[in-house]
Amino acid sequence: MHPDHDETRSRFSESLEAVHRGTLELGALVLENTRRTAEAMLENRLDLAHQVVEADTEIDKRYAGLERRVFEIMARQQPVAGDLRFLVAVTRILYEIERSGDLAVNAAKGIIRRDGYALPPDIHALIARLTRGATALFARGLDAFGDLDPSQATVLDRDDDEVDDLVGDLYSAIAKSSDVMGFDLAVELSRVGRYMERIADHAVNIAEHVAFIVTGSFPLGEEPEGS
Amino acid sequence: MNDRDASSANEAPAEESRVLDESAVREAKKASPSLVTLRAQEPGRERDTEVVLTLDDVTCYYGAFAAVSGVSFDIAKHDITALIGPSGCGKSTLLRTLNRMNDLIPTARVVGRVLYHGEDIYDPEVDPVEVRRRIGMVFQKPNPFPKSIYDNVAFGPRLNNPKAKDLDDIVEQSLRRAALWDEVKDKLGESGYALSGGQQQRLCIARAIATEPDVVLMDEPCSALDPIATLRIEELMFELKKDYTIIIVTHNMQQAARVSDRTAFFTVDVDDALGARTGRLVEFDDTGKIFTRPTHKATEDYITGRFG
Repeated sequence: MHPDHDETRSRFSESLEAVHRGTLELGALVLENTRRTAEAMLENRLDLAHQVVEADTEIDKRYAGLERRVFEIMARQQPVAGDLRFLVAVTRILYEIERSGDLAVNAAKGIIRRDGYALPPDIHALIARLTRGATALFARGLDAFGDLDPSQATVLDRDDDEVDDLVGDLYSAIAKSSDVMGFDLAVELSRVGRYMERIADHAVNIAEHVAFIVTGSFPLGEEPEGS
Repeated sequence: MNDRDASSANEAPAEESRVLDESAVREAKKASPSLVTLRAQEPGRERDTEVVLTLDDVTCYYGAFAAVSGVSFDIAKHDITALIGPSGCGKSTLLRTLNRMNDLIPTARVVGRVLYHGEDIYDPEVDPVEVRRRIGMVFQKPNPFPKSIYDNVAFGPRLNNPKAKDLDDIVEQSLRRAALWDEVKDKLGESGYALSGGQQQRLCIARAIATEPDVVLMDEPCSALDPIATLRIEELMFELKKDYTIIIVTHNMQQAARVSDRTAFFTVDVDDALGARTGRLVEFDDTGKIFTRPTHKATEDYITGRFG
């Protein structure tokens, strides 16, 4: 082949690795923001809620940069097979991550709007478990992507049911105490439940995209549903 | 991103309306045939399963050395089949085996069977000239005869039938099918050499199809052409596959990915002791599968450029 072919291709491999690393870093920023949101909510830390909103600017910037980079690699390297699956899946994983980041921001803005929440003890406990569950799932989704471990999709899909159950429990608890805490807070906390449920779904989707990268098919039958 | 932040308080209702939209889309899809259905109904799009050529454990020797060994696969009618692989993997040798072109090389020998519509083309009863009439060939470098454009195309038909009366028709039809007619109709008497490289290659395609073959073999037909001329040949191949079965050897993997229905990937085994290089078939499958999720690592490494 062409004399500098090997060099060009090794640069190609390097840019794929850079995209992998950059996407994981983006995921770490969003994970950190999700944790901050949970703490802000449970400890009434408005300063943390503001940090979440501020950090999202950097997240959006990196997201746009990574997406541009992937498009450029596709245009210039015309990837096929495993490389193509990786890059297509990364654009989707980037979206799952960025969307999760927005959900964390949504939750943080809710806290800021209401100047912190006065949570009844049972709801406080439920939200603590729910945010822990959703963040843990999100972290495991990122780990699956870091390790390119195709086996995590089915595991995470199963564990996502626990998060869904917790969201159901939260809704019931909110319904029971809505008279006490008032309509507005009840609506706000229902949204929190929804945001956490969605973040967990994004985590499962990430693990499904990882399985697609490795195996070429989606383990749960179809492509992850749009989020 | 930012606009979603602005509407963050409406996240939940927004998702619900999206669900409604989706069901509306589903309803709309039910009402009209999908794009996929429409495409499938286009003439010539249906995949033909009739087998034109069968390679049955084919090994091609030059003297004592096997250039390519133990190849078996079927070539379906109206398919474009691409043969890809590194230099020395025997893909061109194999291509030339399919119309007995290698008969002209004294040391060349074929073991195994090449069945054309079930008939072994290497059977002693078979006339190689007839094989080459049914299975035409286009070469890497455009190689028009030093004759007029008209005589280049008329050459084969004249040879087959010296008394042919409809030569004008044959020449016109062949040039039309090769997408060259409009460019040369006013200068049929000029030399084939007066044409551009891309036009010369289309002239060679017209010459190949003038004898009404069943199969057209193409040995890197675009490697000497610029991207625009290449694109014209590729478009032409899509047209030609309606009437012919095409087998193409190409070094350009993107070309294989663009034009072919099925792809055969060959690799080369090197015997250091003997200094012999023998090609073998690694994988033969739908081109879509080969270029998105090949079965063998050797295929993946080659098409993603990780060889060396």
